[in-house]
Amino acid sequence: MKAICDRTALVESLNLVAGVVVARTPKPVLTCVKLTAEGSLLTLAATDLEVYLRVNTPRIEISEEGGALILADKLSQIVRESVDPTLTLESEGDATHIRGQDSHFKVFGYPLGEFPAPPEFDGNADFEVSAGSLTQQVLQTVFASARENSRYAMNGVLVEREGNKLNLVATDGHRLAVSRGDCKAAKGDSRTAIIPTKALTLLSRLLNDPDQTVKVKIADNQAMFVTDNAMLSTKLVEGNFPPYKDVIPRDNDKKATLDTQVLTSAVRRAALLTNEESKGVRFAFKDQSLNLSSRAPEMGEAQIEVPMPKYQGDAVEIGFNPAYVLDALKVVDANEVQIDLKAPNKPGILRTGNHFVYVVMPVNLQ
Amino acid sequence: MPIRVLPTLLVNQIAAGEVIERPASVVKELVDNSLDAGAGRIDVTVEDGGRQLIRVSDDGSGIPEEELSLALEPHATSKLRHPDELASIGTMGFRGEALASIASVSRLRLTSRATVDGAVRESGASIESAGGETGLVTPTACSPGSVVEVRELFFNTPARRKFLRAGPTEVGHISDVLQRIAIAHPHVAFSLSHNGRVTFEFAPTDSPRLRCVDVLGKEVDEALLEFESRQPWGGVWGLAGLPSIGRATAKFQYLCINGRPIRDRNLAHAIREAYRGLLAPDLQPVVVVFIRVDPHAVDVNVHPAKTEVRLREPGQLHGLVLSAIRQRLLGSDLTPSVALNGKSWRPPVGAEDPSAPAPAPVTAHDFVEYFKRMDPTQKGFVYQQVREQMNDAPLLERVGDGQPGNGFSGPPAPVTAAVTNQVLQVHQSYVVTQDDEGLVIIDQHALHERVMFEQLRKRILSEGKPLESQRLLVPEVLHLNPARMALLDDLAALLERIGIEVSVIGPGAVGVQAFPTFLFDRHVEPGEFIEGLLDKAQEGAFDVKQAANDESALHEVLDMMACKAAVKAGDKLSGEELSALLTQREEVERSASCPHGRPTTIRLTLRDLEKHFKRS
Repeated sequence: MKAICDRTALVESLNLVAGVVVARTPKPVLTCVKLTAEGSLLTLAATDLEVYLRVNTPRIEISEEGGALILADKLSQIVRESVDPTLTLESEGDATHIRGQDSHFKVFGYPLGEFPAPPEFDGNADFEVSAGSLTQQVLQTVFASARENSRYAMNGVLVEREGNKLNLVATDGHRLAVSRGDCKAAKGDSRTAIIPTKALTLLSRLLNDPDQTVKVKIADNQAMFVTDNAMLSTKLVEGNFPPYKDVIPRDNDKKATLDTQVLTSAVRRAALLTNEESKGVRFAFKDQSLNLSSRAPEMGEAQIEVPMPKYQGDAVEIGFNPAYVLDALKVVDANEVQIDLKAPNKPGILRTGNHFVYVVMPVNLQ
Repeated sequence: MPIRVLPTLLVNQIAAGEVIERPASVVKELVDNSLDAGAGRIDVTVEDGGRQLIRVSDDGSGIPEEELSLALEPHATSKLRHPDELASIGTMGFRGEALASIASVSRLRLTSRATVDGAVRESGASIESAGGETGLVTPTACSPGSVVEVRELFFNTPARRKFLRAGPTEVGHISDVLQRIAIAHPHVAFSLSHNGRVTFEFAPTDSPRLRCVDVLGKEVDEALLEFESRQPWGGVWGLAGLPSIGRATAKFQYLCINGRPIRDRNLAHAIREAYRGLLAPDLQPVVVVFIRVDPHAVDVNVHPAKTEVRLREPGQLHGLVLSAIRQRLLGSDLTPSVALNGKSWRPPVGAEDPSAPAPAPVTAHDFVEYFKRMDPTQKGFVYQQVREQMNDAPLLERVGDGQPGNGFSGPPAPVTAAVTNQVLQVHQSYVVTQDDEGLVIIDQHALHERVMFEQLRKRILSEGKPLESQRLLVPEVLHLNPARMALLDDLAALLERIGIEVSVIGPGAVGVQAFPTFLFDRHVEPGEFIEGLLDKAQEGAFDVKQAANDESALHEVLDMMACKAAVKAGDKLSGEELSALLTQREEVERSASCPHGRPTTIRLTLRDLEKHFKRS
């Protein structure tokens, strides 16, 4: 293999695959990036055995086809530290030569054959979705997924396709985020799969062009996302996702509409006077205004008034973890949000129309 | 069989069965008599554990020749005259039974030279008795006071004799009894000799503390905190041993009411409560408690052995003892000083009880053991690291101006701001820093556990509110057997206090609806926590029926929460986390031990370090 690469483009590609590379592992090939020069494409691939990611590097010139395995962190360091506009990568046995204008590195690697084979993408995609819409849906859900929950299903995001509708759902048991969107060219029956949060986060970083089309295929234990210049496949999370539709209350009769930015600022300020043992913020909804208050023993108290011209229903006071509310407000893509409530000990809903629905469980305040 | 009145000897032997259980009881009765006679010096001589001989001699007022034979009669005493006096007993004895009882089961010789109306009689007299057969009074030369010799105890009651233990055991009991009495009467000199060798000798003193130190050994002097509480009706004075000298048995708890050593479950409970959470559960504190009350307020006439009393106001005394000890302990620096040679306190000679279980090793020494096992280079490395870390700090100076040298009498020595930066985490488990006294080593988990515990406790008790809890979207389901279901039902009120909401959602299944927010933050899983709590309840760690309003149940639960939420050994802590932990150490009460009672902090004093670096 021999290829001349644009250094800046190579840095970007390496940054993408570096998210998959394992730092410490008994299997040394997993610390490597696989370089493949074929036709006019140079691809970089990495895997942690859960996720397999392959990206095409733009702006290259191949003079000899072939491949190489090279330590990911060494390659990244060399490419990042170099100053040349282009670098030449050339394989020789298991080693790779990296040449710049004034430099020559020889880095030892491993035999190509030891690298795990990429999953096969046989047949056609189940559906297609625009990168912009998928990124938005991922953004609106991944934050709500659990981190290290013993109920493994919650450590992923539920991807649910019904016809041309695509829903992403995530929960950590305290709140639940649903993002609804559309897909096209859908084939076959409706399908659900639980995708690891890490894979979706990596995917959203790949999709830098919102107009791209992402082809998605979900197999028994694999999901695959393919764009023109990248492929990400991931194992699915096993287990049963909580029945999320049952969790979304339908009878919340107290409805408020609030300015997203004003509410965000108010909640952020109220959160300043909370601490580890007393982190709830009291939301007191009544006609025309929302009063936020917090109190941390031995620290102090805060009161913030939020104008709320549109409110239907009786007054209600409910406690929320401000971090949970802010998480949702950060990903809202509208100027106004609706909050629907029932009672102080019942779930509250924060939503923008029906595209983004966020159920958050209250905190019992004293 | 026809009913008959029993002969006197049999009556006395039966009475002896109640009072005279073993040689130690003989010593107690005779020494009580000596004290009532106003003795300034009491010598006890024992041979073969008291089987062969018990001799108690004193320099008290003695018994006049003409009363000698009466003294051995049952129900004969000089200490009581009128029934009213029974209500306010000021003497150790009053029943008039002891001598007669002892005489009925041994060969007894009573020699006495009396002092009547301030005048010492010219000569003494003696009387002998064998198994209750009293002889004649014969004039005898002796010094003022009385000598009672008891030989061949239980020679005529073989059953009792058979139950006597080996010599050392019986001497152990005698020594214990005599020490208890000696602590209660510091102004009287005491000595005990066994088989011709002096076991101990206590000089008379005006200071109760000095006498306690004589008995407990001078090594513990520094580890005894004096406490006092005066009340209109009397008061409490005593010494509370630091947790670091906790013992495996409650033997080293000395309780005296009006100069009488007693045992009392109520007050023993008060002592245990005062040390709750400061002492490992398998250890008992070393404590001396003197209580002064109006003699009318205490009834000694409960049991012939008089080791139990009835108090008119048991609750009041319980509260007083508890608060006096607890306040003293909370106001003190309980950080144990460890010596590098790892020696821990052993009771002084004569106090060993062979039947007592071996004392549990003091946990503080484990680190020292560990340190000792390191090879010299490694040791040197640790020392060097500590030194380097501390180099920038102002050199430690021992404060000489009136500050007590042992450091136990004041509040915890503050770790100054300059020092706080000089913190070293070793093996991601221990925090090493310095204070005015020397090198301080902290178990990060134990200390953080205590900090969290106190914060939670304060939150629940002083604010009287349940902990803040996060409701769950989907209840976490637990499957329980019927016994555990019932247990959980009993615990419902307690769980509510700590912010856990559980409801039955099906046969054998409960759902956790809400769980404290801070436990979620620290990745404690509701199911695991509740299962653990049920395990504890089943082990009987607390009284489930009383769980709702009992402090010990709350203590247990908060302890579990704190333990699970605290940083673990092996957690890497950042600089800010370390200094926050050290700041909290000064803010919370009882920071010297974790809620289980294990020490959080040990100290290597400068003195000790200097000694080991041969710099002295």
